Amino acid sequence: MQKYSLFSLIKNAFRNHKDWEVAWKNPKPKKEYDVVIIGGGGHGLATAYYLAKEHKIKNIAIIEKGWIGGGNVGRNTTIIRSNYMYDANARFNEFAMNLWRNMSQELNFNVMFSPRGIINLAHSDVQMNAFSRRGNSMRLNGIDAVLLDREEVKKLIPMADFSENVRFPIFGGLMQPSAGTARHDAVVWGYARQADSMGVDIIQHCEVNGFDIVNGKIKGIRTSKGNIKTKKVGLCVAGSTSILAEKLNMTLPIETHLLQACVSEPIKPILNYVVTFGAGHFYSSQSDKGEMVMGGDLDGYNSYAQRGNLPTLQHVLTEGLALFPFLSKLKMLRTWGGIMDMSMDGSPIIDKTHIEGLYLNCGWCYGGFKSTPASGWTFAYTIAKDAVHELNANLSLNRFSTGYLLDEKGLGTKTWIG
Amino acid sequence: MLFIKCPYCGDRSQNEFAYGGDATVKRPEINKEVSDKDWDNFVYLRKSPRGKHLEFWHHVSGCRQWFKIQRDTSTHEIFKTFKVTEEI
Amino acid sequence: MSQDYRLDNIGLINRDKKVSFKFNGKRYYGYEGDTLASALIANGVHLIGRSFKYHRPRGFFGSGVDEPYAKVQLYKNGESEPNVSATEIEIFEGLESESVNCWPSVNFDVGAINNFLNKFLPAGFYYKTFMWPKSFWYKIYEPFIRKAAGFGVVSVKHDKDRYEHKYEYCDLIVAGSGPAGLASAYAAAKNGAKVILAEDKPRFGGSLLTDEVNIGNQSGKDWANKIINELKGMQNVTVKNRAQVFGYYDHNMLVMSERLTDHLAKPKKYTPRQRLWYIRAKEVVISSGSIERPIVFGNNDTPGVVLASAAKEYLKVYGVLVGKKPLIFTNNDSAYETAIEFKKNGINPLIFDSREKPSSEIINEAKNLNIEIKFSHVVVSAKGYKKVKSAEVSKISKDKNTLGKIENVDCDCICVSGFWTPTIHLSSQSGNRTKFDKNIDSFVPNQPKQKETTVGSAKGTFTLEETLKTSFETGYQLSKKITNNDKKILTPSVVEKKFTKHDKFWCVPLPKGKKYKRFIDFQNDVTVSDIELALREGYRSIEHVKRYTTLGMATDQGKTSNLNGLQLVSSIEDKIVPDVGHTTFRPPYTPVTIGTIVGREIGKHSKPTRKSPMHTWHKENNAVFVDAGVWLRPRYYKKGNETLFQASKREAANVRKNVGICDVTTLGKIDIKGPDSAEFLNRVYTNAWLKLPIGKARYGVMLREDGMLMDDGTTTRISENHYHMTTTTAQAANILSHLEYYLQVVWPELNVNVVSTTEQWAGAALAGPRSRDLLKKIFTDLDVSNDNFPFMGYLEGNLSGVHARIFRISFSGELAYEINVESNNGNFMWEKIIQLGKEFEIQPYGTEALSTLRIEMGHVAGPELDGRTISYDVSLEGMLSKKKDFIGKRSLNKPAFIAKDRQKIVGLVPIDKKTSIPEGSHLVKDVNAKLPNPKLGHISSSCWSVEFNNPFSLAILKDGKNMIGQKLFAVSPLKNKVIPVEVVSSHYVDPKGERVRS
Repeated sequence: MQKYSLFSLIKNAFRNHKDWEVAWKNPKPKKEYDVVIIGGGGHGLATAYYLAKEHKIKNIAIIEKGWIGGGNVGRNTTIIRSNYMYDANARFNEFAMNLWRNMSQELNFNVMFSPRGIINLAHSDVQMNAFSRRGNSMRLNGIDAVLLDREEVKKLIPMADFSENVRFPIFGGLMQPSAGTARHDAVVWGYARQADSMGVDIIQHCEVNGFDIVNGKIKGIRTSKGNIKTKKVGLCVAGSTSILAEKLNMTLPIETHLLQACVSEPIKPILNYVVTFGAGHFYSSQSDKGEMVMGGDLDGYNSYAQRGNLPTLQHVLTEGLALFPFLSKLKMLRTWGGIMDMSMDGSPIIDKTHIEGLYLNCGWCYGGFKSTPASGWTFAYTIAKDAVHELNANLSLNRFSTGYLLDEKGLGTKTWIG
Repeated sequence: MLFIKCPYCGDRSQNEFAYGGDATVKRPEINKEVSDKDWDNFVYLRKSPRGKHLEFWHHVSGCRQWFKIQRDTSTHEIFKTFKVTEEI
Repeated sequence: MSQDYRLDNIGLINRDKKVSFKFNGKRYYGYEGDTLASALIANGVHLIGRSFKYHRPRGFFGSGVDEPYAKVQLYKNGESEPNVSATEIEIFEGLESESVNCWPSVNFDVGAINNFLNKFLPAGFYYKTFMWPKSFWYKIYEPFIRKAAGFGVVSVKHDKDRYEHKYEYCDLIVAGSGPAGLASAYAAAKNGAKVILAEDKPRFGGSLLTDEVNIGNQSGKDWANKIINELKGMQNVTVKNRAQVFGYYDHNMLVMSERLTDHLAKPKKYTPRQRLWYIRAKEVVISSGSIERPIVFGNNDTPGVVLASAAKEYLKVYGVLVGKKPLIFTNNDSAYETAIEFKKNGINPLIFDSREKPSSEIINEAKNLNIEIKFSHVVVSAKGYKKVKSAEVSKISKDKNTLGKIENVDCDCICVSGFWTPTIHLSSQSGNRTKFDKNIDSFVPNQPKQKETTVGSAKGTFTLEETLKTSFETGYQLSKKITNNDKKILTPSVVEKKFTKHDKFWCVPLPKGKKYKRFIDFQNDVTVSDIELALREGYRSIEHVKRYTTLGMATDQGKTSNLNGLQLVSSIEDKIVPDVGHTTFRPPYTPVTIGTIVGREIGKHSKPTRKSPMHTWHKENNAVFVDAGVWLRPRYYKKGNETLFQASKREAANVRKNVGICDVTTLGKIDIKGPDSAEFLNRVYTNAWLKLPIGKARYGVMLREDGMLMDDGTTTRISENHYHMTTTTAQAANILSHLEYYLQVVWPELNVNVVSTTEQWAGAALAGPRSRDLLKKIFTDLDVSNDNFPFMGYLEGNLSGVHARIFRISFSGELAYEINVESNNGNFMWEKIIQLGKEFEIQPYGTEALSTLRIEMGHVAGPELDGRTISYDVSLEGMLSKKKDFIGKRSLNKPAFIAKDRQKIVGLVPIDKKTSIPEGSHLVKDVNAKLPNPKLGHISSSCWSVEFNNPFSLAILKDGKNMIGQKLFAVSPLKNKVIPVEVVSSHYVDPKGERVRS
C-alpha cells in the first residue's frame, strides 16, 4: 500500500497525481468468507479492520447496501467524547478516545482528530449538581473533567448570551478538555483503505435479503449479489437493525428514529469548542471549513425517512439562538437527517445472540460516531473469540431482563424523547 | 410537519400532538400472571418496522384524547387514524 | 466613478432614484431596483471576492440564486451580516459592503499563493498530510486552516431585527412567477381556488422579463404585468414577491421565507425584516424554472466569465453591460438571444458555437444582424487574471475530442451557455424520485409522491407555447378538483422563436501540454482534475466524489456545478448519468436566515415563563427566583446583605421554630372523578387506595412500567367519586398524559375522568410548630384540633369570604398544612395569612429552605427520583403493596433490583461536622486507590441541618442497608475535595415522624 505523507504528496504532484492507487478496491463477492460484516459504516469497517489486524482473520467481507460511509458515520456532527456517568459507558468510550488519539498515524490517513474540548452548559444549580455527579464519576474513572463556573465559561465562549435578556442564564458547565471532533468521512475511508490492504473485501451496493440458519447456527447470507457462505456474521447496521432483525425473527429493544442536523454558511472562526446547551437539546461546534455544525432533538416519531421536518429544526435553532445570539443573522445552509437505532436505555448493545455465529452491534442512539474505534475493536474481539470482552461485557442484550440498565438520562423506554 | 386527522377534532398540524409509540404493544392484563419473557417483551421489545406502523398519538394541545395512526415510517404517509377502541 | 457600463434606455430600474452605496470603502452610484451586482457591474467593477481554496480572483457568474461567488459582508444601520449574495441583495441608500475571504484586500490577497501551490493541493490533500508530528494537527495545522477558511465575519451583537412567523392554508401554492407560474395561478384563481403565488425575486414574470416573446398580442413582459395586476386584485389570491418557497416538507407543508425590508434603507419600526410562512397547501404547483449551466473550459473562473442568461438579464432588467467586447460561447440556441440583445444595443458580440451546422430561426436572425458566428468552435481558455482580457479559441472536431489550432481573440467578457437544468429541488424534496431526461441531459420530476405538479422549464418544457398550455391546464384541473368549479380560461396565442437542438457537450478538452484549471464547482474550487483524481483513487460513488472533492457542498449547493460533475463522472466511469445518480436535494433551496426560522421566540421568550398568582408579592418582598422547569419560584427572600446560605438557613430555622409559608402553586394538580377512581388510583400508585375515606389524603408513589420511580405526591378524597391529586412540579404534564393513557388506552372500562387543575388553584404551605395556631386565626369557624383535623386530614373552609381547601400534609416534616384557593384569590389568601401570621413570627420561605427541611427529614425529591431508582433505593419499599397489582410491579423482581447489595438511600454526616459535602460527590472506601477508583454511591442532596447545625447529606449507596455506622470518604475531584463521612440513617430529624402528627 502506498504511504501517505507530505513527501508522497510532493512526489505525486510532479507526476500530476497520476500514480495514486485506489484507496479500496471494488471486488465481486467470493463464495465463502470466514466472517461477513453486514454494514459498511464506521463500526463495520472498524470491526473488519480490527479482525484483520488484531485477530489475523483475513478472509472477511463487508456487505454494504449503498456506499460505504453513507449512513450515520457520514451524517453526524463529528463529536468525540467520553463524558459518561456509568462506568461501562465511560470506560468503553475512554478506550475509544485512546484509539482516536493515534488514529491518523495508525491508519496513515488524517482523520483530523481535534481535541478542542467539549463544554456541557448548566443553567441551574440542580443541573450543576447533576454534572458534578457525572464529572466526578469521570475523574474517578481516570477521565479528564473540569467544572467551570459562569465566569470561566464566559472566558471560553464569550459570544454566548451572558446578558440580562436571557431565559435560562448560564450557571457554569462541565468540560472535558480532551474531547473534540474528527473528520467523519476520513474515518470511513481510513479504515476502509487499511482493511482493504489487509485483504478485506469491501462489497458495496449489495443488499442482504436473508440469512441461512440451520439448527440455530448461521451458515450464510443471501444477498442481491448472490449467496455467501460463512459461519460468522456481524450485524452492524445502526438504523437498519430492526429491518434485518425481522429477517432473523428477532425483536430487539430498539426503535429507529430520525435525528436532524444542519450547518450554517461558513464564517471566520468564532467558536473553538464543542458546546451543548443545558436547557434544551442544542449542541454546536464550528467545522474547519467555518460552518457552524448544529444538532439537537429527534423528530419524535419512528422514522426511516432520512429526511426531517422543519418544526424540529426550528425548535433546535430556537435553543441555539437562546445560547448564541450571533446565529440570528447567519444563514442555515444545509440540513440532513440520519436514522438512529435508539435503544431502550440509551446505551449500545455489543453481544452474541441466541443464534450461533450471529453477533449484534446496535443501539447506538445518536452517539455512535465517537465510539467507532472501540465498537470495532470490541466487536472484532467478540466475533473472533465468540466471547465478550471486559469492555463490552455490560453492553449486553440481556441487561433488559436482568435490570442492569445503563440509562444515562433516566428517561426510560420512551426512545422518541431521546 | 405532519398533518394528522384526530378522530375527534379533524385535521390538525403535528405540533398539537405528542407521539405515544408502538400501538401493537399490548400491556399484559392487570392482576394476571405473566411470564418474565412476556413482560420484558411488553416493556422493552419493539418491532420498529420500516413501512406500515401502528402507533399511538395524543392530542395534547387539543381534545387530550389518545388515538391510533397507521403511518408509513419511511414516507410518513398516514393511511388511517382510529379511535383507541377501533381496529384496523 | 461613473456608470460606464450602464445603457440609457433599457431596463426596469427606477432611473429617477439614484442610490449611493459603498463597496470596499469606495462610493458608487446605482439606481433603485439594482442589485449590488448590477450596480457594481454598471460601474465596471468585476472583482468581488476570492475563492475558497486557491484565493483566485472571482467576479460575478450569475444574476440570482445561482451565483457561486459573489458573497459580501453587508453593513446596514449599525448591523453587520456575513455572506450576503451580491446578485440577490437590492441596493439601498447607504448600503456598505466588503469583499470576504481575502487579506489584506481583494486586489492583493496573500492567500493567492495557494494558486501557485495548487499542484500540491489536489482534492483531499489534507487527508494525506498534516499527520506528523502527531500533536501538530490540532496545535498548528488546524488553526491555520480554520483561519484561512470561512467567508464573512459574524457579529456577536444581539440582532436588532425582528422576524415573524405566519401559518397559512390554501388550495394551491405556486412557487415561481414565470410564465408557468403565472398561467397556473391565473387559471386556478379564475376558477375560484385560494391561491398563493410566490416569487423569489423582486419582480414578477421570470423569463418573460428577458425573453423576446409575444403572448396574446402583447410582449411577454406586458402580459406578465397584466396577469400579476389582475391576480393582486383578486380576493382569493395572495401574491408575494421577495418570497422564496425553500422547503417542501411532509403532508404538503411548504415553507417560504419572505424578505420584507432587506431592500429598504430605513424600514419602519416593528416591520419584521423577514417572515417565515408555514403553508399547508392542498395542491402544489412547482414553476421554479431552470438554471443555465456552464460549459467547462480553462480558467473559466476568471472574472468576466458569466452565464449568457445572466448577461441578458443584466442588460434587459438593469440596463447594464457585463462587457463591451462580449464573446458568446454556447452549445445551444438560447445564448443567441444574449448576442442579439448586445447587438441591438450597439455592441458587437462574437459567437462561438460548439455545434457543427445548426440551423434555426434565431440563428438566422443573428446572421441577418451580421453577428459573427463560428460553428464547431470552442473557448479553450479565458485569459487575464482579475478580468477577462482575451480568450483562447479553437476549432473542435465532431467527436469533441480534438482541438485545432489555438487562436487568441480579444474580448472583455465570455458569456457561456451549456443549456438548461430544470430546478427540481422542491419536487425532489417532496419525495419525488426524479428521472433523467436524455433529450435535455438533465433530471426532471418523475411520479409525484405528494400533491405536487411541476410545470414549465422546471419540468424540462422549454417552449413557451407548451408551457402556457400545460400550465393553464394544470391550474384549471387542480382548482377544479378542489373547488368543483368549472371555469376555464382560454390559453392565449403565443409567438416565440423555435429553437433547434442543443449540443451534448459540456467540457472543453485541454489543449496538448496545457494544464489550465477547469472549474466545475466554482465556489469550492473543484476542478476537472480533482474529480478525475477522486475516481482514480476509488471514490466512485457520486456521494464519495462529492465528499472527497467537496463538489456541490458550497453555499450555492452546486446549482451550476452538480450536473457537470455528474457528466464528468459518468464519462470517466463509462456509465450513463442516471446510473451515477445525483446527490439528495434537501431544504433549504437557498440559505435561510436562522433568525427567520426562529421567529419571535428569542431572549427571554425562547421558552414560556410561568408565574404563580403571588409572583408580584414575592418580587416586592425581595424574592430571588429560581427556574423550576418553566416556572419561576422564590428560591429565598433576601434580607439585607444575606447570602443564599444565610437566608435559607434563617427561613428553615423559622419553620422549625415558628411557622413559615411557602408558595406551592407550581405543584401539578389533577382532578380525578368517576365511580372507578379508587380502583384507578389503586393501579396507578404502589400502595393501597380502595379504602381511603372521604376527607382524607394519602401519600402515593408511581412507577413506570420498567419499575423505576416516576413521581410522588398526595391524593385527597374530596367526595365519594372525586379525588384531588398532586404531582411534582416537573412531572405535572407527563403524569396527566400518563393517567390519560391508562384510562383511554389500557383500561377504558374504568369510568374515570382526569383533568389538570394546576392553574386553577393557588397553594400556600404553612409549616412549623405554630402553624395550627395560625390556622385557627385564619379559619375561625373551623375546628382544626388534632382530633378533628389529624395528619392527612382534609377540610374545606372559608378564608375571609373565600372558599378554601385545607390539606394537612407535610413535606417539611413539621406540623403543616396546605391551603388552596382559586387562583384569582391567591394573592388575597397569601397577604391575609402573612398579616394574621405576624404574631406567630411567620416568614416566607423559598425552595432552598424547603430543600433543607425535606433533606434532613429524609424525604426524597427530584435528585433521588432521577429515573434510575426503584422504591427500595429510596426506602419507599414499604409502600409497595403485596396484595394488589400496580403499574410497574411486574418489573420489580429483576435480579438487579433484588440484588443483596442493591443501592439504598442513607444519610451522611461529615466527621468534622463542619465541611459541607458538595452534591454530585461520590463515596469511596479508599481515597488513594488507583484509578479507576470503585464508586460506592453518590451524594444526591446536601443541606446544612438547621436542627443539628451541621452539614447533612443524602446519598444513594451500594448496600446502603448494611452500611449505617460505616466511615467512608465523600470525594469531589472536580472541587478537589475529600471529606471523611459517617453513614447514618436518612431520617436525620424526627425519625419517628412525630411532629407531623403532633
